[in-house]
Amino acid sequence: MAEIYKLIHPLKYFNDYISREIRPDGRKFHECRNIKLNVNSLKTAEASAVVKCGNTTVVCGIQLELASPKAEEPDFGYLVTNLELPALCSSKYRPGPPSDHAQVTNYLVSNIIVNSKCIDLKDLCIVPDKLAWVLYCDMVCLDNDGSLVDACIIALISSLKTLRLPTVTYDAETEDINVDPDIRTPLKVYGLPVATSFSVYKLPERDILITDPSIYEEEMCGGIGSNFIVCSNQSLLCGTQKFGGSNLPPESQEEALKISRDRANVVEKVIETCLANNCEINEI
Amino acid sequence: MELETDVVSHASGSARLRLANTDILVGVKTEIDIPKPDKPDSGKIEFFVDCSANATPEFEGRGGEQLANSISNMMQKAYHSAEAFNLKQLCIFEGKQCWKLYIDILILECGGNLCDAVSLAVKAALFNTRIPFVKAALMDGGNIDLQLSDDPFDSKLLDVGTAPLLVTLCKIGDKCVVDPSAEEENCSVISLIVGVTGNKRHYYPNHTDKQCTESKCTTIGMNGPGSVVSKTLKDAIKQGIVAAKSLDEALGQALLKERQQNIGMKKHSYGFLK
Amino acid sequence: MPLDYRRFNGPEDSVSYKRYTNKYYKGYDELYKELVDDKGRRKDGRALDEARSMCMFFARTDLISQAKGSAYIELKKTKVVCSVFDPREIPHQNEFSQLGQLYCEVKFAPFSCAQQRRPHVDAEDKSLSVALRQALEPTVCRHLFPNYQVDVFVYILEHDGACLAAAINAAGLALANASVPMYDIITSSSVAIIGKKVFVDPTEAEEHLAMMSPETEGTNHGIITMSMLSELKQVSDFVQIGSMDIECVTEAMDILEKECENIVPNIQKVLVHNVVQSFNQRKQLEAEAKEREIALNVKMEEWKKLLNAG
Repeated sequence: MAEIYKLIHPLKYFNDYISREIRPDGRKFHECRNIKLNVNSLKTAEASAVVKCGNTTVVCGIQLELASPKAEEPDFGYLVTNLELPALCSSKYRPGPPSDHAQVTNYLVSNIIVNSKCIDLKDLCIVPDKLAWVLYCDMVCLDNDGSLVDACIIALISSLKTLRLPTVTYDAETEDINVDPDIRTPLKVYGLPVATSFSVYKLPERDILITDPSIYEEEMCGGIGSNFIVCSNQSLLCGTQKFGGSNLPPESQEEALKISRDRANVVEKVIETCLANNCEINEI
Repeated sequence: MELETDVVSHASGSARLRLANTDILVGVKTEIDIPKPDKPDSGKIEFFVDCSANATPEFEGRGGEQLANSISNMMQKAYHSAEAFNLKQLCIFEGKQCWKLYIDILILECGGNLCDAVSLAVKAALFNTRIPFVKAALMDGGNIDLQLSDDPFDSKLLDVGTAPLLVTLCKIGDKCVVDPSAEEENCSVISLIVGVTGNKRHYYPNHTDKQCTESKCTTIGMNGPGSVVSKTLKDAIKQGIVAAKSLDEALGQALLKERQQNIGMKKHSYGFLK
Repeated sequence: MPLDYRRFNGPEDSVSYKRYTNKYYKGYDELYKELVDDKGRRKDGRALDEARSMCMFFARTDLISQAKGSAYIELKKTKVVCSVFDPREIPHQNEFSQLGQLYCEVKFAPFSCAQQRRPHVDAEDKSLSVALRQALEPTVCRHLFPNYQVDVFVYILEHDGACLAAAINAAGLALANASVPMYDIITSSSVAIIGKKVFVDPTEAEEHLAMMSPETEGTNHGIITMSMLSELKQVSDFVQIGSMDIECVTEAMDILEKECENIVPNIQKVLVHNVVQSFNQRKQLEAEAKEREIALNVKMEEWKKLLNAG
């Protein structure tokens, strides 16, 4: 019965829930979904992480390559992040080249990582002007159920944190490169950016801010990709994003910043516990 | 079946084949390339199939693309093994330079049994492919400068004795039919394609190596929406191998005869391209 | 290759660091020795004829909330996800088609292999997609959804051999999970052949060597993948590549036939589990609804009393 109601009157269905101060999946407005994190489960990648925020699933894998640095930036390495939204993750995507939404989200994730300065590209340089690491960080969304950017950032940061670079010896005279994959040093990650998505729903009398929206909620609140995304880095604000959708009243902004700060702490704990557990497993 | 070789003067090797209503033109182009890092002593081979829009009304627009893809895929698989076609003969300088063969297959008219016809034409074209000798190689630092012989007759032929032939078997009722016509293809829900290596003896009469007389499967694939019982599949594979053997022998004899004629006198040519 | 501006691109001349390690170049014999130890055990402890289906097989469904049906299959390291969507009208088609279509797509994750895979569709993806469609078509009752197409998407997260077989198994399970009508459970298995040795359910290293051509002439080598409808005893797809004689092919077919049957109970178990779970869920929902109804009735009675009294 409820399913049919949802199909015929999607807006009214959603409205009925919201006006009773609850969301269709039973959460309160500012309740986030559970986060499940698993690192290093893929053996073909140098570092990997699988994140589930509710139903939203993102897998991130990092592969390492070597290249000579750009001529204009001789002591910088490369960090190449890409998000793929394959057709299997939602009925809205078609196979083929990346859709507009995929490209925009891809840019967003990359911007957050670059702006938060959590990776110093100079650390990736091995010999200036000659040799540098290229980090190919590929994120794949297996199930898109809203708040995609949040999950991507968690997956990316956790896999970067587990990444260990092999030692490289470079002979300046013969230009010979030798890599020893047995001796590895962890990559330095400065800070820990965490993104939190919000949707704004307009009731006639007031605006309602919904934290960590599902894809259905995103659609009801002005369409996919119109989330208000707040990124905080260890209780510092490091960026906000809002493309289109409903407008955002000032008091909601304040609220959102506060919530995102609290959430960042929770996510940080999740990542740390997971990494600590992973270390223990490795030692055993 | 009608077969002509050396029909395109600009290609290194070429062949035209007419099998009932199926008409195919194959040209082989050679190019110098850098070998793959994990196979430094092997050359490369690539197949391109082009379904001309005139061949059958179904090919109009992008209709032929899928078929073209599946044929080139099948050929690539069939030529994968060194037992079928040894890529080492295309090596020029280990790890640095090798020959790359581009095999362009043009389907002019489609009258059924495309795969078989394509594989026959490709083998005939490869049999006639001439690769120029390398006269000298100059080492300049890490680069190699090759000097090729200018004389077109100063060239070597490829060893294609074991190159595979594809045989399509269409399952109609309980029986499998070899060399199906277009009508027969429409009747059957499933067809089996078997790639079988050739026998060197048929192509090089003074070849005495006894070892490679046995025919081997290089690829097997199924095509169409149906399925078969495994017993039928086994029988069909056997049937395919037998058919391929006789086809191979006939092709070898025809090619040798043509080559002798070529040496003896100016070839009496017929067909539309001359 | 033109640059793809819809993605971020790395430098053009980058190469995997593995090329510079000591262990990168290995001869054929060296690789061969690594695969099997003196006692005839493979690297991961299996016997030659032992498939991963028995001990290292993990399958589940319903992991993609957005899809109609989904499945995940893990064969030790090989990890495959598949999702199936609701039927939709066949795009770009003017004629009516009597039979429903299956649209299959197999994709590798960029990090699924030891070397980075570029994101665009390559020949391997295409040939796997065609093979998958070939394998699935005979098992789906396509006459039940004329002029519609069902999308089957397979994503390979990690490739450690037998990925086509894993993809077919996952797709069959996902189709069943999406309640697409089918004639039979479809299962698939593959073998790698190197000389006289037959590796059932090969790993990536074994497949790689089987595709390489041995030095001595006349040795059998290659890979065979076969998919079967076990109950109907029908072979729906058969893909062989390499070079081998007829005895070897028929022998491998017998092994594969048995192996495909071995996987059936695994798939059945997952499906039965699904049915039981959804049945329980329904029961629970019904019980809850009943409870609510009783509560409502009680309230009604109260109101009625109040009304009567007032």
